Amino acid sequence: MARIGVFVCHCGENISATVDCGKVAETIGKLKHVAYSTDYKYMCSDPGQTIIKDAIKEHNLTGVVVSACSPRMHEPTFRKACAEGGLNPFLCEMANLREHCSWVHEKNDLTTEKAIDIVRSQVEKVKLNSALQPIKVPVTRTALVIGGGIAGIQSALDIANCGHKVVMVERSPSIGGHMSQLSETFPTLDCSQCILTPRMVEVAQHPNITLYTYAEIESVEGFIGNFKVKIRKKAKSLDEKICTGCGLCTTKCPQKKIPNEFEQGMGMRPAIYIPFPQAVPNRPVIDREHCTYYIKGKCKVCEIVCPTKAIRFDQPDEILELEIGAIVVSTGFDIKHADFFPEYGYGKYKDIIDGLQFERLASASGPTTGAILRPSDGQVPKNIVFIACAGSRDPAKGIAYCSKICCMYTAKHAMLYKHKVHEGKAHVFYMDIRSGGKNYDEFVRRAIEEDHVNYIRGRVSTIYERDGKLIVKGVDTLLGAQPVEIVADMVVLATAGIASSGAEELAQKLHVSYDSHKFFAEAHPKLKPVETNTAGIFLAGACQNPKDIPDTVSQASGAAVKVAALFSQSELTREPLVAAVNRSGPPMYSTCVGCFLCQSVCPYQAIEREDFKTRDGKIIKTVAKINEGLCQGCGTCVALCRSKSIDLQGYSNNQVYAEVVALLNEY
Amino acid sequence: MNNLIARAKELLENKIVQVIVGYEAGPTGVARPAFITNPAKADLLIYDERCVQNLAVYLTKPEVRNLGKMAIVATLPVMRSIMMLISEQQIFADNIIVLGVSSDGSLLDIADIKVMQAYIEKSDLGNPVKDRALLVELNKLSKEERFAYWQKELSKCIKCYACRQACPLCYCTRCTVEVNQPQWIPVQSNTHGNMEWHILRAMHLAGRCISCGECGRACPVGIPCHLLTMQLADEVHNYFKVYAGTSEKMSSVLSTFEPNDKESFII
Ligand SMILES: Cc1cc2nc3c(=O)[nH]c(=O)nc-3n(C[C@H](O)[C@H](O)[C@H](O)COP(=O)(O)OP(=O)(O)OC[C@H]3O[C@@H](n4cnc5c(N)ncnc54)[C@H](O)[C@@H]3O)c2cc1C
Ligand code: SF4
Ligand code: SF4
Ligand code: SF4
Ligand code: SF4
Ligand code: SF4
Repeated sequence: MARIGVFVCHCGENISATVDCGKVAETIGKLKHVAYSTDYKYMCSDPGQTIIKDAIKEHNLTGVVVSACSPRMHEPTFRKACAEGGLNPFLCEMANLREHCSWVHEKNDLTTEKAIDIVRSQVEKVKLNSALQPIKVPVTRTALVIGGGIAGIQSALDIANCGHKVVMVERSPSIGGHMSQLSETFPTLDCSQCILTPRMVEVAQHPNITLYTYAEIESVEGFIGNFKVKIRKKAKSLDEKICTGCGLCTTKCPQKKIPNEFEQGMGMRPAIYIPFPQAVPNRPVIDREHCTYYIKGKCKVCEIVCPTKAIRFDQPDEILELEIGAIVVSTGFDIKHADFFPEYGYGKYKDIIDGLQFERLASASGPTTGAILRPSDGQVPKNIVFIACAGSRDPAKGIAYCSKICCMYTAKHAMLYKHKVHEGKAHVFYMDIRSGGKNYDEFVRRAIEEDHVNYIRGRVSTIYERDGKLIVKGVDTLLGAQPVEIVADMVVLATAGIASSGAEELAQKLHVSYDSHKFFAEAHPKLKPVETNTAGIFLAGACQNPKDIPDTVSQASGAAVKVAALFSQSELTREPLVAAVNRSGPPMYSTCVGCFLCQSVCPYQAIEREDFKTRDGKIIKTVAKINEGLCQGCGTCVALCRSKSIDLQGYSNNQVYAEVVALLNEY
Repeated sequence: MNNLIARAKELLENKIVQVIVGYEAGPTGVARPAFITNPAKADLLIYDERCVQNLAVYLTKPEVRNLGKMAIVATLPVMRSIMMLISEQQIFADNIIVLGVSSDGSLLDIADIKVMQAYIEKSDLGNPVKDRALLVELNKLSKEERFAYWQKELSKCIKCYACRQACPLCYCTRCTVEVNQPQWIPVQSNTHGNMEWHILRAMHLAGRCISCGECGRACPVGIPCHLLTMQLADEVHNYFKVYAGTSEKMSSVLSTFEPNDKESFII
């Protein structure tokens, strides 16, 4: 016989201001099977919990309903209290009288009636609860970091320094990401390479980190603590163990006219190349798409000149299979290029460049060794226009969001220009200046006040070329939308930050969600900004939305802590609120008929097959089986199964039915 | 028909199959299912306009299965049922030989599933003509009139579940109606509970019904319950451009999600 205890909480006045808690406790106390019922000001407090623990012992309770706030808030608290009182924690349920009742209604009798109904339905449910045991899942203590920008680098180093193994997979030939392309960084103007390269080297040398560059994720299976990952190591066409990185091959390669990605197309590179001098690893790769040998079948100059005979033309791609416990996704972002803007000539005018190109111009290691020279004729621009929000915050262009970094780097660009071209004039068209952040607004003010950058609030409607000059037409909305026309030598567009190419495919391989702009989605915008909806997969950096370096690094360390916490134990304990396919003795084994329609609806790939066999190995029946490590208890399969062979532990059809029936019936 | 008998004999004699599932004439001349294991009895097989039952329903019955490997006399609906059963992993293509018969009664050469698929694909996959006409009439009614029509029809249902037993796709070993923890569908028959049963059955067959009409034929009180599942077959074809039972690797439209699915199907 069920002996249920009901504990009605006032939540200070949060509940008792509109609900008559005493009456709720009294009415419920009279119900059949309710052995004890009481109310108290703060159930979650120590004395409150003691009331529950004592009542469990004293009244020999078989189930507990705490009628208080949202289970999101205090379910763990009360389940723990029940466990301490000697009751299986899963025999404790919460009736949400705060969010579902007191907060949304006025004080009157009906509100109290509704509270009684909510508690009644939970009493009916808890009668059908069964004692559940937590699920233990083993954990492979190796982390996978996908993407070797500053986000990936920071996460990998933090995890490795906690003593765990890390595998880093970077798709380009070197780690470093966009930060390695930057000249100087806001808000301090320290040199990007100088702060980044030591960390890149640390990654390469760390005994706990294995680095695979020029590699991509082929597939991901499994679940938290137990992922099975296939990595495709693209053929670099040389033996990395033998190559010394002398670079002789790169100087002799006859193909010299390939646009250099690192220089954003403002320089050329050979087919066998090291992306930039500080690259990690500092070894070349052959770009097979452009290599004469792969195109025409002959050349092999690099093979001839290589002093260590490291070139391997027939090297195949290699597929590695790894066991991984947790994954940090840090694949960063891209930016839109000038060809996205019809109003600015679709990238037709050479002297309209994007922000990353400007970074390369301003960089001491860039194509102009740091001199600001315009691409068309190599002249120093005397009049330069920066356009912020190019594409961003423009629903008409499909990008409604703020790219967040552009206001700051535009100020930086204008400042760098003024520091290099003292007599030059810098103009910035902007919509708003968004410079929230430590020392950020001061930085922008410095650009305006000390470096005399001309900030104009308004949009640029069109740019066209006339006599080798760019005519920039816009308005100044602070001067009553007065038209402005600037005759410029060069224009820099602070183009929108977008998801990196291939983000969608990667998200699908990882089974994590992404938003309509293909940025990876966090599990909760406020409380779980680092987690994804798939347990064991975390986010770091600009792959979630455009962010600056400080934000990226903080999040990367956050992700690392999540991984370290997961790796702090060899087993993982999970709530047993998962689906289960029923089992019975032979000849039925289960009412499941093995149609496997449930398999296709499970968003977490948690449904597997189980064969029942005779002694000599003949399959008698194949039925569905839930992988408890993967199942998130969403219940989709339960709703789908025609023969009602799946049920959700803790939320069985029977329990939910009892709740509904209780609400429909008078008491 | 002679071809059919000859082929059946050959299959049994050479022990390629252990049983032929086909039709024979009953004592009153009505066609009934025949399960022939003895080559000498293959002469009993018939195929003509009396043979309308969807024999695929027997493919999943353990009593028939236990007889061994089978060959089945298959009209278009039977072939489509076989496709569905393969795609839902209830039978395996290797375990069954299809003795396809065309609408004029001649034996088709269905060497394997690929050939069968090609045959299905070039056939008319819409609902049977007379049911189509009935549906047109029903769809002319207003929502209220249609609801009243079904309420009246379904109030006659005695919950014998013959419609379910006759359907090749109602192969569950335990049907939802037999679950009593909780009792989803009331045991006794009353208008409300009958509606629940039929809505449930229709939804379980949405996108799966291959329009054989067997459920309606099986009903002892003459409820045209096949029109419910056939209408849904139409809806599914409208929205998703697929017909059930056209490929052995069919993913169920109601349980798969494609990122580019339009949301207009939420009606
Ligand atoms: C013009 C410009 C100027 C900027 N200036 C500043 C500044 O002054 N100060 C500041 O704080 N911030 C600045 N930023 C922002 C800064 O660049 C970012 O905050 C930072 O680069 C984000 O780092 P990340 O590691 O998240 O991404 P990224 O730097 O984009 O790195 C991602 C890495 O992942 C790799 N990758 C991508 N996809 C895959 C895949 N599928 N598999 C494997 N690897 C993959 C990429 O190759 C890359 O190496 C600027 C940005 C721009 C565009
Ligand atoms: S659990 Fe249900 S849906 Fe899944 S295979 Fe079994 S019968 Fe089909
Ligand atoms: S409850 Fe959800 S996650 Fe678990 S097996 Fe079913 S569909 Fe998959
Ligand atoms: S018509 Fe009836 S018997 Fe035939 S497949 Fe459809 S629901 Fe089943
Ligand atoms: S009605 Fe549904 S549960 Fe019942 S046998 Fe048919 S498909 Fe299975
Ligand atoms: S066969 Fe007819 S009477 Fe029997 S359950 Fe089906 S609809 Fe009802």
